[in-house]
Amino acid sequence: MTQSGGTTVQDTSSKPEREPEREPGTATRTGTEEGGTGTPRAAWRRVLAATLAVALLAAGAVLFVQGRHLRDTPATSNRALTDTAGTNRVVGDVSSALGKVFTYNPRSTAATKESAKRLLAGKALQQYAALFGQVEKQAADQKLTLTSQAVRAGVTRLGTRSARLLVFLDQVSEREGKAATTAAAQLSVTAELRGDRWIIVDITSR
Amino acid sequence: MARVRTTRNPLVVAAIVLAVAAAGAAGWGGWERYEATHDDAAAYAGARDEALAAGEQAVQNMNTLDHAKVEQGLDSWEESTTGDLHKQLVDGRDAFVEQIEAARTVSTAEILSGAVTELDDRAGKAGVMVALRVTVTAPEGKPAVKESRMLGQLTRTSEGWKLSALGQAPVGNTAG
Repeated sequence: MTQSGGTTVQDTSSKPEREPEREPGTATRTGTEEGGTGTPRAAWRRVLAATLAVALLAAGAVLFVQGRHLRDTPATSNRALTDTAGTNRVVGDVSSALGKVFTYNPRSTAATKESAKRLLAGKALQQYAALFGQVEKQAADQKLTLTSQAVRAGVTRLGTRSARLLVFLDQVSEREGKAATTAAAQLSVTAELRGDRWIIVDITSR
Repeated sequence: MARVRTTRNPLVVAAIVLAVAAAGAAGWGGWERYEATHDDAAAYAGARDEALAAGEQAVQNMNTLDHAKVEQGLDSWEESTTGDLHKQLVDGRDAFVEQIEAARTVSTAEILSGAVTELDDRAGKAGVMVALRVTVTAPEGKPAVKESRMLGQLTRTSEGWKLSALGQAPVGNTAG
């Protein structure tokens, strides 16, 4: 009895129970054995133990929920920059795609159109097709060359399958026989991971 | 102990199970909570979002100025900045007040989009890129609307993230 006395709260509470069961005596006998003070004390201990157990359970639950909340926030579900490799990959894929689809010369419009079909999808491809109809004609008529380069890109939101980026694009256009002009474009891009490549599904000019 | 347990009545066994479960739950919950507060990825994500919000607000402040409330506007500029940029603003304040009061322009800015491009949580440094639309209204003529792109460096201070450098993102120099 003394050995187990100091272990845990529950053991203390069950002590009065344990004793009577080891001896073949009856519950009523133990009650008298412990004396008039024994029974209320045992009951009190049981209540205390139960309260403690419930309090521990509640504390555990509260702490667990708090922990979940701290970890599972809008901030943590966005893996931009926290996932360095993933961030670099989507920046690389999107920057390279924008460079390819917005770069053409009078002889390469067909190739540019082909790469757009690979690198764009959904709304972005529709927008692009509408725009490129005019561009194709213009490029041929005016011998226009356009070279685009993503000079800076940042990820605003990175999920497992989709991402949003802000891209600063420089576009150098050159008409045959004239000096080149550079224009700045700011694009909000939505990309989706398809297979092992990020495909642009929406482009909004800012 | 083990010998004793076998002879216990089911209520006591249940009580012990409950107690152990309760202790376990408290321990597990506590661990989860501890881990969460010490989760570097979560802290880093939080810092990123704070830096972006502060950066966008600061860039907006720095592109907003009303000649009628020039002192108030420049106070907001100074509050948005730290380090060298802050010093430049303080040093050049008087000359700037004269300039703006002479030009009598009102500038307002609208942030279109922004992103954090780099973040060193420990050093308290971050880089942001912001696309914005600036409208400048002179006493005469139509308001001039200009799309602008800016790059900013942020430094964490005791009052939060502040701009330590800000400039237009260069156009053309990096291409070709």
